[in-house]
Amino acid sequence: MPEMTYLSAISDGLREEMRHDESVFCMGEDIGAFGGAFKVTDGFIEEFGADRVWDTPLAENAIIGTAVGAAVEGLRPVCEMQFADFIACGFDQLVNVAAKMHYRQGLAVPITVRLPSGGGFSGGPYHSQNPEAWFLQSPGLKVVAPSTAEDAKGLIASAIRDPNPVVYLEHKHLYRRVKGEVPEGRYEVPLGRARVAREGTDLTVISYGAMVGIALEATDDLEGASVEVLDLRSLVPLDTESILKSVRKTSKVVVLHEATRSCGVGAEVCALIAQEAFEDLDGPVVRVTAPDVPIPFSPPLERAVLPQVDDVKEACRELLAY
Amino acid sequence: MPQMGVSVAEGTIVAWRKRVGDWVEADEAIVEISTDKVETEVPSPASGRVSEILVEAGATVDVGTLLARIDAEAKPGVAHVDEGPPEPTADRRPPTAESGGNGHAPPISPVVRRMADEHGVDLSQVEGSGRRGRVTKKDLLAFLGDEKPAAPEPALHSESPYREEEPAPAGTGEQLSVMRRQIGQHMVRSLQTAAHCTTVVEADMSAIEAARGRLSYLPFVARATIAALREYPMLNATLEGDRLTVHEEVNLGIAVSLGEEGLIVPVVKNAHELSHEGLASRIKDLAERARAKRLTPDEVSGGTFTITNPGAFGALLATPIINQPQVAILDLEAVTKRPVVVGGDSIAIRPMTYLCMSWDHRALDGALAAQFLSAVRRHIEGWDG
Repeated sequence: MPEMTYLSAISDGLREEMRHDESVFCMGEDIGAFGGAFKVTDGFIEEFGADRVWDTPLAENAIIGTAVGAAVEGLRPVCEMQFADFIACGFDQLVNVAAKMHYRQGLAVPITVRLPSGGGFSGGPYHSQNPEAWFLQSPGLKVVAPSTAEDAKGLIASAIRDPNPVVYLEHKHLYRRVKGEVPEGRYEVPLGRARVAREGTDLTVISYGAMVGIALEATDDLEGASVEVLDLRSLVPLDTESILKSVRKTSKVVVLHEATRSCGVGAEVCALIAQEAFEDLDGPVVRVTAPDVPIPFSPPLERAVLPQVDDVKEACRELLAY
Repeated sequence: MPQMGVSVAEGTIVAWRKRVGDWVEADEAIVEISTDKVETEVPSPASGRVSEILVEAGATVDVGTLLARIDAEAKPGVAHVDEGPPEPTADRRPPTAESGGNGHAPPISPVVRRMADEHGVDLSQVEGSGRRGRVTKKDLLAFLGDEKPAAPEPALHSESPYREEEPAPAGTGEQLSVMRRQIGQHMVRSLQTAAHCTTVVEADMSAIEAARGRLSYLPFVARATIAALREYPMLNATLEGDRLTVHEEVNLGIAVSLGEEGLIVPVVKNAHELSHEGLASRIKDLAERARAKRLTPDEVSGGTFTITNPGAFGALLATPIINQPQVAILDLEAVTKRPVVVGGDSIAIRPMTYLCMSWDHRALDGALAAQFLSAVRRHIEGWDG
């Protein structure tokens, strides 16, 4: 299997789907001639032409609204938000139109909205956010957040083929840092299925996206403790079965994400565990997240805000000693 | 010593539940006592601290004797070794400000509480390695691994709703006699084996009443039954598994009550060769020896048909259980005078009885059972010696 970066894996998955299915097309800001802000669609306009790789105005509501119309007519659009933060401008079309179309009109809306998300590069408050929790509150949407190159390709394929609107969070910090073997050709990683990134018996770290790597690094050598790392991959639907299975095994849980704390994905996971696995717990369920603040530009301040390897280590040590 | 019943004059201390210095709540068990009638826990009459115990375990004292004193003025929470958190042992971490040493006992987590319940573990016996000496799941697993193999968890799902009955707690009830247990086993096995069905006919005992003199009804009914068995040999049979054996000779089992002890069924061998008088004397002999426990093993085996005769006690109807591996059992119930229609449209008072026969539907069907019983009735009603 060829080794590729997380970014190339997304491009590869997108390209495979476009080659295979003529109804798949891309739209977004500077994705055509420029190849996208992060070069995910580099070379696409040459291969597929401007009819299938649209450069759009800076108008997220128009991008998503157009995609919804195209999807209802039978196409499978993939919209790129240049930064995940900008989806706030397209919120109404996504949350009120796309998410509710099937419920209200009985129509499938097979759109994929790609969100380059996350911080760690001094991008500041408008280019660093992790807005996934907004969409957990919007029934009708699916939400995925891969952490590996293999999952990045498999999940973009599943997102495109799914008949529902899917929000695809691709972490910018992983684009060129994460590399891995990626199967050739088309394959799917099923939506709603978590992945055990490392097996363990003493404690479980539940995470997704960029924090999976942090979790693995932090618990690789923790005074001999056997730490399980569960990569959720899908946030909606959530793989409750895998979560509870791991909790029942280790009885101690740290929930880790880069997004802010209150009402985040971690809160949902913690509530699930408290309700369904109470009698399997051997300690408090601990969250490690960004605090409820905007992401600062200043590199030292940003480091202080985003969860670091040492934060995860400390939380795990505390809980292991409990 | 409390008065545990009007006729109880004294009681024995079995065990104290509290020691001097312990706090006791009103109505909490403080002592176990035993009288000639019962063993029981005595609830504390008041809340307070046990200040004095005057009668040690094992002693027997009269009702009204002072057993212990409780200081009702005492305040709870004053240091006593049995209260509050267990003292940290040498290698437990002492509470520190950092670990929130707020004076509370370390928490017991849900999983530890559940597992301790499941395995019946007293957590005070488990060394805790967690914060402030908390017993962690790992500690408990290690304890279970060291102390004893984990008790098998009760199955969550079961193939059948049948559950083994809980054995009665030792010391209650009374052990069944060997005979009762054997009767029980045979009866349950028969009900589980045979397809029991009971058919009833009514018989007029006038002819036998006139002929019996000082004999009971039983030898006459036995004779009539043997005659009917000769006509319907399918009833004089044994069924073992899929093999039905129809017997030539009639070996007639007669259920003999041994009073409260139980019941035994001696067998009149070759009963078809005997007259009612011969049957009467053989039945009398077997019954006497049964009550004297002098029957030989082969006198209670080899039966081909059984008659049971509890009618002397006045019962009207019964559904007897077949004596395996036979295929039928005839129950002779009370003979009572009843108004019956006779000779066309007249009503007469006649000594009547119900002949109840349980038969095995695996071996025969209802029509044959009815025909056979009708034949018995015919022989009874047409009795001519």
